[in-house]
Order: sequence, then structure tokens, then C-alpha cells
Amino acid sequence: MLKTQYISRKQELPLNGDSTGLFLQIIISIAVFIFAITLSGVLSINTMLYNWNQSILGSLTVQIMPVNDINKEKATAQTLAYQEKAIEFLQNVDGIIKVTPLNDNQLKNLIQPWLGDGVNISNLPIPRIIDVKLAPDADLNFVELAQKLSIASPQASLDNHKLWLSKLIDFADGLKLIAMTVLLLVIAITSGAIFYTTRMSLGLHRNIIEILHTMGAKDTYVAQQYGKRMAFLGFCGGILGLLFAIPAIFFIGSLATQIEGGIISEASLGFSDWGIIFSLPLFSMFIAMYTAYHTVKRTLKKML
Amino acid sequence: MGEDNNIIEMQNVGIRYDQGPEVLSDIKLSLKKGSFHFLTGKSGAGKTSLLSMMYLAQKPSRGNMSVFGRNLNFTNRDELASLRRRIGVVFQDFRLINHLSAFDNVALPLRVCGMNEREIRKRVSELLKWVELDAHMQDSPDTLSGGEKQRIAIARAVINRPELLLADEPTGNVDNFIATKLMKLFVELNKLGTTVVIATHSEKLINDFCYPRLHLQNRSLQIINPAGSTILRGLADA
Ligand SMILES: Nc1ncnc2c1ncn2[C@@H]1O[C@H](COP(=O)(O)OP(=O)(O)OP(=O)(O)O)[C@@H](O)[C@H]1O
Ligand SMILES: [Mg+2]
Repeated sequence: MLKTQYISRKQELPLNGDSTGLFLQIIISIAVFIFAITLSGVLSINTMLYNWNQSILGSLTVQIMPVNDINKEKATAQTLAYQEKAIEFLQNVDGIIKVTPLNDNQLKNLIQPWLGDGVNISNLPIPRIIDVKLAPDADLNFVELAQKLSIASPQASLDNHKLWLSKLIDFADGLKLIAMTVLLLVIAITSGAIFYTTRMSLGLHRNIIEILHTMGAKDTYVAQQYGKRMAFLGFCGGILGLLFAIPAIFFIGSLATQIEGGIISEASLGFSDWGIIFSLPLFSMFIAMYTAYHTVKRTLKKML
Repeated sequence: MGEDNNIIEMQNVGIRYDQGPEVLSDIKLSLKKGSFHFLTGKSGAGKTSLLSMMYLAQKPSRGNMSVFGRNLNFTNRDELASLRRRIGVVFQDFRLINHLSAFDNVALPLRVCGMNEREIRKRVSELLKWVELDAHMQDSPDTLSGGEKQRIAIARAVINRPELLLADEPTGNVDNFIATKLMKLFVELNKLGTTVVIATHSEKLINDFCYPRLHLQNRSLQIINPAGSTILRGLADA
């Protein structure tokens, strides 16, 4: 007789034979798939938000539209009056540290390239521009600021691009919140599935567990067997889900870069972002193991 | 009351299932270290119920009980598990795990307490040889005869050198020849210091081996000494 024959040891609990194994693996794959895509969304929104916030910081321009009047002198005077009102308003806003209207020369330099030499801008109804410096820690609500500014000085308007960006930031923030909720839900649903299948399995193998108990097995002995099994399912499911998620992430990314304006192209995933995404199978392994382990400990306490 | 000398102490112990009537009432018992008892009583008298309290599968529904000097009212789950490791049990229905080999079944109590595989291999194959089952090491209990299963169940019960051995009709399904042989194994173990309780219906065994009987009748326990004299409720300590 071969001495080595009985070295191989079978698990006391035949968990590999549980029909719920395949089901769980599929659930976990799908969960990791959704999780990876949503997470890549959250991470790229983060990069995007960072870039946008950077460009929104620091400074701001306010435009005063020229007043139309047949009397040119009167029109200029009125425009300048509106500018004064705008300046007065801006100087009293928290977070604004310096308000400088551009003088005629500066305006001319700005516009010259567009109009060519030899044009006297004082004869043209061109908008006046105010340069606004923001405090580094300024937390301004641009939409609100724009509204108040237009009340204080009807001809004044906030730089369009920044206003638009700040609305986009709010939108992205909201999107991020929803995505985070999705992430939590995915974790909850997966843990729930593991919880119920583990409980089912405990009922199924009750006889064996009772025998193990009589032999002096502690709850952790059983819990560890479940933990190991679920860790395996969690990891394999995670790998499978990731395998499908990565091409999907690239596909969505390539669609995004085709959007005009280059706004979304700032949404690239960094090295550490990919690191997080690639570690998802470890994450799903841990969640599966932890959930199963504690389900067993809690259930056995009530069951036996 | 030499607590240290008593493996099991029961005082006013009663057990019932769910909300049913008490199966056993006011059981008083001191099981001395190194003693050997038969446990008798009609079918349904509560032999398995009494044993299941002793191997800590059931808690008494009332009364006080100590095992190895530990009061069960103050013992948590993990401590109970540690106490169970010192008890070997042969179940009436064997309770072997069919998807495991005979070897793995016998190895169970050792694995549960984390012994290393080399030591396990040595001990289990030695014992299986001793019960003449080394040829069936790799077989599933499913494929073995009743007597072979019984020997595996007994091997599993004694592999961890238990201080207390509880056997529920261990000779129920075998002929007299094997029954006597198995009994001799229990006697051997008892001589080595193991406290033994054997539930049985067999008058022959009881007569062949002169050990005191724990007799269950009308929900209560009597001790009957081999001579025939009956001492009610509990072993006299004197
Ligand atoms: N799990 C249970 N649930 C409800 N009642 C039970 C349970 N186990 C035993 N009983 C009841 O307790 C009583 C004693 O049963 P027990 O199994 O202890 O008897 P026994 O002496 O071992 O009988 P046998 O000689 O047939 O094995 C019986 O009336 C039985 O119906
Ligand atoms: Mg019985």
C-alpha cells in the first residue's frame, strides 16, 4: 500500500460542492465589473475636478458691455459709471483681494491683434474689462456672484468660461456622489448575497458541523473553512469581473476623448488610479472572506 | 465532595425538548474519575438525552451541572469546545462523514485541535491497524460493513485519548463476538484511566462484565450495583 496515498486531505465541509458557488462567483464578477467601471468614473471625475478647480482658482475677469447711445461721450461715461458700480460691488465681496480695471492702453493691447494697427479704440464701443484677484482660499459661489453682480451693475457679466466651469464642477460633484452611492450599494448587495448563501450552506451542512462541534471544533474552525472558500470565490470572481471591466473602461475613455472642447480629456486615469482598480480582486476577496467568516460565527451562535 | 475526582456532577438536572414534558427530572449524579458504568433503560427512557448532556451537545433545562470541574452555567462557547476535546463519543448512529475517507474520519478530533499532519498520520494509521481497518483507510464509510463503521466510530472516539468516553449502544449492530471484542477495548481504555459510560440494551454484556449500572426509569436515575443491591439516586460517596 502506498504510504503517500492518504496525505491528501479533503475538506470536512464539502463547500466546493455547494451549488451556490457558481452563482456567487457570477454575482461577484458582475459586482466587481460594475464597481470597477463606477470607480474609474469616480477617479477620473476627481482628476477632472482637480484640474477644473485649479483653473478656476486665482483670478477672474468681469466684462462691462458698452452702453449704446448716439452721443458717444455720454455712452462712454455711462459705461464707465457701470464699471465703477461693478468695482464698488466687487471690492466688498469676501474672497476678492484686488479689483483692477484695465486702462485704455491695456484694452488696446488686448484688442489690437484682432483689429489691426491704426484703430482708435476710444471711438469704438468696446467692452471694458476688470481683472479680479481672488484669495487663495476663496470659496466663491460663482453662480450667485454672477447674479448679484448683474443686479449691482446691469451691464457687468462674469467671465463665461469660469461660470460654466463652476456649474460643471457642481454637476460633477453630484455625479460623484451618485457614483459613490452605487459603489456602496454594490458592496451591500454582494455582502447580502454572501450572507444568505452562507447561511443556506450552514443549514445544508448542519450534520457535519454538529459532528465537528462534538469533536471540540470551535466556531472559528468552521468559520475559517467558509472564509477560505469565499476568499477563493471572491478573488476569482474579482479577476473575472476585472477582465471584462478593463476593456470597457478603455472603450468609455476613448468615447470621452472624442468629445469636443477637451474638457473630458482631462479625465484620464493616473497610475495610482489604475493601481486601485487592479487591486479590486483583493478587495472583493477580503469582503467575501470577512462577510462569510462573521456570518458563520454569528449564525452558529444561534444555531447550535 | 472531592470535586477533582468527579468527571461529571449533576444536581437536580432536568431536560426537556422545546415546551414538552421533562424527559429526565431531578437527576443527581457524581461520576468518579476512572469509573466504568453501563447506562440502561427502556427505549425512550432518555439514555441518549443523558449522554448528550454529558458530551455537551445539550444544556440541561434546569439544575446544575459541572464537567471536569467546570460549572456549565459559567462556561462560554470556546471553553465548551475545549471541554469537548477531552470527551470521546460513539454515537448510536455513528455519525461518520461519508465524503471523507475512514482515515480522515478518525483524524477529525486531532485536526480540529490543530495537531500537525505528521503526528496525525502516525497516530491514525497506528490506531486503524490496531482495530484491523488499515486496509480500509482510504474507503468511504459508505462502503463499509456495520461492524467496520462501528470500529471507525470507536477509533474516532478514542484517537484523542479522551478522559471521558461515552458510547451510545456501541454494540447495537454487531454480533456477540464483535461486541465482546469491542467491550474488551473499552475495558482496556478504562484500565488506562479513561472514565467510561456505555449505554446498552444487552443483558448479556451487563451480566458478562460486572460494572455498576445507571438505570433510567420514570424520568429518574438509579444506580444498580452488580451484586443486585439498589442504591437510589446517586453514587454513595462513602
Ligand atoms: N430532539 C428531540 N426532540 C424532541 N424530543 C426528543 C428529542 N430527542 C429525544 N426526544 C424524546 O426524549 C425521550 C428520550 O429519548 P432518548 O433518545 O433519550 O431515549 P433513549 O433512551 O436513548 O432511547 P433508545 O434506547 O431508543 O435510543 C423520548 O421520548 C424522545 O421522544
Ligand atoms: Mg438512544
